[in-house]
Amino acid sequence: MSDNAESPTETQKDDPSIQHAATEHTGASDEKKKIDVLLKAVGDAPIMKTKKWSVERGRTVQSLAQFISRFLKLEASEQLFIYVNQSFAPSPDQEVGVLFECFGSDGKLVLHYCKSQAWG
Amino acid sequence: MMFMAGERNPASCYLDERTFRLCCQLFLQHSETIQDGWSWEQIKGTDEGFMKKTVLMPVKPSFLHKQHECSMQDENMVTDDVQANVEDETAGVQAVCEIHAVLRYEYHVLYSCSYQIPVLYFRASTLDGRPLSLEEVWSNVHPNYRQRLQQGPWDTLTQQEHPLLGQPFFMLHPCRTEEFMKPALDLAQAENKRMNYIVTWLSVVGPVVRLDVPLSYSSSAVISLSVSDSTDPEDVQRTC
Repeated sequence: MSDNAESPTETQKDDPSIQHAATEHTGASDEKKKIDVLLKAVGDAPIMKTKKWSVERGRTVQSLAQFISRFLKLEASEQLFIYVNQSFAPSPDQEVGVLFECFGSDGKLVLHYCKSQAWG
Repeated sequence: MMFMAGERNPASCYLDERTFRLCCQLFLQHSETIQDGWSWEQIKGTDEGFMKKTVLMPVKPSFLHKQHECSMQDENMVTDDVQANVEDETAGVQAVCEIHAVLRYEYHVLYSCSYQIPVLYFRASTLDGRPLSLEEVWSNVHPNYRQRLQQGPWDTLTQQEHPLLGQPFFMLHPCRTEEFMKPALDLAQAENKRMNYIVTWLSVVGPVVRLDVPLSYSSSAVISLSVSDSTDPEDVQRTC
């Protein structure tokens, strides 16, 4: 498991429901209370050093977006956008577990993210 | 903007009006399928039109009487799914004690010739017809976006005259559309995937103002058009 991620030990402590995903799966049925999420940057979004995360199914998109924003140290004026299936923005209230059921493949949910300056 | 497999045009963030209509057509077909309530409104005597949907939205009564910012900013805010409340056995008691206020939101998706992109207009009122103030509308912006919208260098959520109806509406200013559309467009092009501009765009802007766009809109049936770009529904194909 890689530890060269910048900073986020603080955010990780605040977010026990989001953890580094083990690179080797011990096989199985650690019952899917968590799903594996792979985060991919698009546009000029910063790339996360740790891309693979285990996230509790009940976690919302908004919550995950906040986590990523903190991890990337986005400014208060920057908005993070998350896309599933490459071109669809899930509702911030949507649970990642549902997204995984709909769009997960090879045991993971791929989410793309980009950032933007303030709206207007 | 729709591009077919194999095209090499750089993904433009702009949408010509014809493509706007094609995307809307597919969007509306899916809405019909899932009974999502969208309709096409044509302006009589013109070839202009827009997509429209009306939603009834329960909010806490305190929303209208005072802005209880803390209750609206709860990041774990329960969704406006009234059905879920019905299933909750405690809701029965709640319903007796606390009658939810209901807001009526009417959303319009228009094409902007000047920006060459779609724009979201909406109006909001109480059930007895009182229009919401800008302040009330602001307090109902989804907490995920509220802070950043308010930091915009100019007004993001403004009251505008509806370009086709001439009535006062609220509008989400479109000038940042490129910033969230371009990455998605580039991505789809890079992976040779088709996409529906309206689906992508509305899935981003809709939730900001409490408009839900169900996940099923992202399915391939809503996205594909035949290579000949025909408007004939029989030509609509499905990708794998």
